Amino acid sequence: MRRASGLAVDGVLVLLFGALVAGVVGLAQRWEAPIRQAVEIDLSPSALPLYTLLSLSRGFAAYLLSLAFTLVYGTIAAHSKRAEKVMLPLLDIGQGIPVLGFLPGLVLGMVALFPKTNVGLELACILMIFTAQVWNMTFSYVGSLRSIPEELNEVARLHRFSFWKRFRTVELSSSVIGLVWNSMMSMAGGWFFLTVNEAFTLGDRDFRLPGIGSYMAVAIEKGDRRAMAWAIVAMTVMIVAVDQLLWRPLVVWSQRFRNADIEGADAPESWVLNLMRRSRFLRRMRLRRRRRPRAPAPPASPESAGAVPGGAGERVRAALVSGLGIAALAAALFGAWKLVGLLVRVPAAKWLVLAGAVGATGVRTFSALALAAAWTLPIGILIGRSAVWSRRLQPVVQIVASFPAPMLFPIVTGALLVLRVPFGAIAAVLMLLGAQWYVLFNVLAGASAIPHDLDEAADVYAMKGGARWRMLFVPAVFPFLVTGLVTATGGAWNASIVAETLNWRGTALETFGIGSLITRATREADFPLLTAGVLTMSLAIVVFNRLVWRRLYRLAETKYSLNR
Amino acid sequence: MSARPAPASAPPIAAVRGVDKVYADDAGRTRTILKNVDFEVRSGEVVAILGPSGCGKSTLLRILIGLIPPSAGHVEQHGIPLEGIHPGTAVVFQNFALFPWLTVEENVRVGLNGRPLPPSEADGRVKTALKAVGLEGHERDFPKELSGGMKQRVGIARALVGRPELLCMDEPFSALDILTAELLRTEVYGLFTERASGLSSVVLITHLIEEAVFLGDRIVVMGADPGTVRHEIVNTVPHPREYRNPDFLAMVERIHDAITRVHLPEEEEVAGPATQTTTLGGRRAAGPVAPLPAVRLGEILGLLEILADHGGTMNLFDIDALTDYDFGRTIAVAKAAEMLDLVDTPKNDVVLTNLGRKMIRASAAERPALLRAELLALGTFCLVIHELAKEPDTPVAADAVRDLFAERLPTVDASQLFDTLLNWGRAGQLFEYDAAADTIALFSGREEGPGG
Repeated sequence: MRRASGLAVDGVLVLLFGALVAGVVGLAQRWEAPIRQAVEIDLSPSALPLYTLLSLSRGFAAYLLSLAFTLVYGTIAAHSKRAEKVMLPLLDIGQGIPVLGFLPGLVLGMVALFPKTNVGLELACILMIFTAQVWNMTFSYVGSLRSIPEELNEVARLHRFSFWKRFRTVELSSSVIGLVWNSMMSMAGGWFFLTVNEAFTLGDRDFRLPGIGSYMAVAIEKGDRRAMAWAIVAMTVMIVAVDQLLWRPLVVWSQRFRNADIEGADAPESWVLNLMRRSRFLRRMRLRRRRRPRAPAPPASPESAGAVPGGAGERVRAALVSGLGIAALAAALFGAWKLVGLLVRVPAAKWLVLAGAVGATGVRTFSALALAAAWTLPIGILIGRSAVWSRRLQPVVQIVASFPAPMLFPIVTGALLVLRVPFGAIAAVLMLLGAQWYVLFNVLAGASAIPHDLDEAADVYAMKGGARWRMLFVPAVFPFLVTGLVTATGGAWNASIVAETLNWRGTALETFGIGSLITRATREADFPLLTAGVLTMSLAIVVFNRLVWRRLYRLAETKYSLNR
Repeated sequence: MSARPAPASAPPIAAVRGVDKVYADDAGRTRTILKNVDFEVRSGEVVAILGPSGCGKSTLLRILIGLIPPSAGHVEQHGIPLEGIHPGTAVVFQNFALFPWLTVEENVRVGLNGRPLPPSEADGRVKTALKAVGLEGHERDFPKELSGGMKQRVGIARALVGRPELLCMDEPFSALDILTAELLRTEVYGLFTERASGLSSVVLITHLIEEAVFLGDRIVVMGADPGTVRHEIVNTVPHPREYRNPDFLAMVERIHDAITRVHLPEEEEVAGPATQTTTLGGRRAAGPVAPLPAVRLGEILGLLEILADHGGTMNLFDIDALTDYDFGRTIAVAKAAEMLDLVDTPKNDVVLTNLGRKMIRASAAERPALLRAELLALGTFCLVIHELAKEPDTPVAADAVRDLFAERLPTVDASQLFDTLLNWGRAGQLFEYDAAADTIALFSGREEGPGG
């Protein structure tokens, strides 16, 4: 079944996706946005705290949206086998698509809905951040739900847990650890396109929002280095503060949900908590800590929990799912029809250009990945092998990785232009800038997971230098490397949209590729070309996933798996 | 293998002198794993290191061959200080430690690393090693495709192929099922006695007495907390060795006695000097602050039930035979029961006391009170109760108690001791524990306050 129906599902999903593109673009075309007062960005450092707070609140709003989406989507996907078959691949595609391509449609639509205020723009911006945050959270949640021990589910059924009780006591508590960890990653990932999301221009229209992203964008445009430096400082402070004050304690807190029966890696640590633990004074204090109010045990009343009888619930759900399926199919067909209507307006010659552009960006993507692998493999293994260094560097790397790469583009570009590197190659480096961290993290994790006894065997049998790398380190890290590269590919393709065109001190730098094509189509409000570009890129990502990564994955899971 | 003794003057192949090993956990608590250990391996002998789990025998092996450095003392090879890893060693690991991405043959070839040989000879050696362990025809398999027993054969072939002067086997059969382990043990015995592949000396780590007697020329008995060498016994059982042979059984008995003496010394029958009297426990002089055997109370009660079913008296080895525990664990349970006055252990017997009988007959509701009286006589419990009683209504962080243990009993695993204390103490309704906050408090049930 897997192959044939998998392909069919993919087909339907591509159509659905097309419908969405067509829908959003159509929305944008119908309501031409009225003229709005452009926001002026103040480049003085004193304006930055407010801008930073504004951006931060957008990030949190998007995060709450992601969380709600995750809980709803994940619950539905996990509770229905049929829904899952569609919903999981949908997530897969969602993760890979160039969400930035939606921005123009979204902005125009939203602005049209709220013509007099910034509400529409704000919503569009939050939605864009949302699309960068949501995927891995949902994946993590669905994964956790699916790995709930069957016994727990049976207990919930036997004792007739209500939906809410089951959700709270079984599902949420089984997934908290993964959810917290991925929330942290998501918040970090959400900042990536901030400079674009907050400072969006379409044609000659300016849809700027006050925020740290637009501050940076304006600073880059004007070539104001001091302002750029300030923006970078502000961004770093924000990331570090959120990490240390919110995520670290949350991660440590979530450890109480750790299931002792499926003990995993070492418990993560928070330096705030550690500091408290180390302090002699606090150790004394702790001896005298006040008694925490004990929460009363939840009343266990199996009768009162009004559970829907299994049979009827099942039938309702089945009807719902098939209803949804039919609706989805109808939408897909309608979308396909609309899509064709848009795409026929793209001349044949343009399609050739598109194909060439995908090829050019593809070459750039793979050079970026090769570069990423080339430096992260040795460095990641060296750091990951040393318990001391990995403990010291992990939080640093994590914060560096959360930093939105596009904010660094002008600095890197400036440096490379001085070295007379052509912009086509610079674009690949810029794409690498954001994507490399995924690879590094995975290699680090892999290197620190090398089984101790294999290491000892290599010691005893005098496996030194190159032999040790060839026979132990690289193979052991390989599955992690592949995972990192797959994640990085999606990131690199997406980053091409911002990396292949750059406004550098008033001069527009541009190199041929699908990313710059999409950007230009946006700028020129060429909706058919934009749609075709977004679709082509999505298609390229899916095809590469199928042809290259799947095979490597299989190799990683069989030959190089450490599950002995 | 005692057939080819080395000249007495030759320095041992490998030796540790006065070695200590101290580990620190994440919270900064240190624990002494090994204390002042002397140990050596002479040419041509098979030394079995026998001890309960956690006594540091694997740590000792790793220090001996240079995988980890000692905290104090020094390590020698052939009488000179060891630098790096002992060049003539091979190790058979408990969990095989095969490289999953290499074939069986490539895995075995790893054993030739660092030994430059002409290719033809290398091929020949690999072939011989594979043949010696019965792996012909599996050269191109990957470890994943093999059963546990076959995997360990690969591990053994990898160790033999380099013709090591010191072969180390770290619990080589304990990851295998009983039948497979027995088969492989017999085959390894054959390899030892035939001196296959130029085998010289062997160090075998085990927690099974029979395994030590079956394979060892010399048996080193280790005790835990901290790990030290307690006895050395020359194994005089003649070859070929068989489990039912009277000599064999006598040797097993002798080692049993030695271990029992290490873990259940007779002098403990005399009550230790009272170090402190608690404000709460008040009724009785408390014993010294001493480690508790890491067993759960359920196991102690289980032992009482078994004793009651067998007329109240049983030989320790018979109890051991009834359980699937290793001998060290059986002893630990007996020792724990003795600490609580539930059994007596004259020589190798375990005898139910009156209190023990009473405990079995008691209902689940009556047991905590019986138990509590005994726990309050243990210095370790008094120490903790004393600390908690300073402010009876305030829970104390468990880490503070663990720190207290680490200070008072530096050779003991403080976390494990805390877990045991909690397990016994909660059964005796002395303590309450809040897992979420990781805090411990005095039991606050209204009718049965511990202090009255």
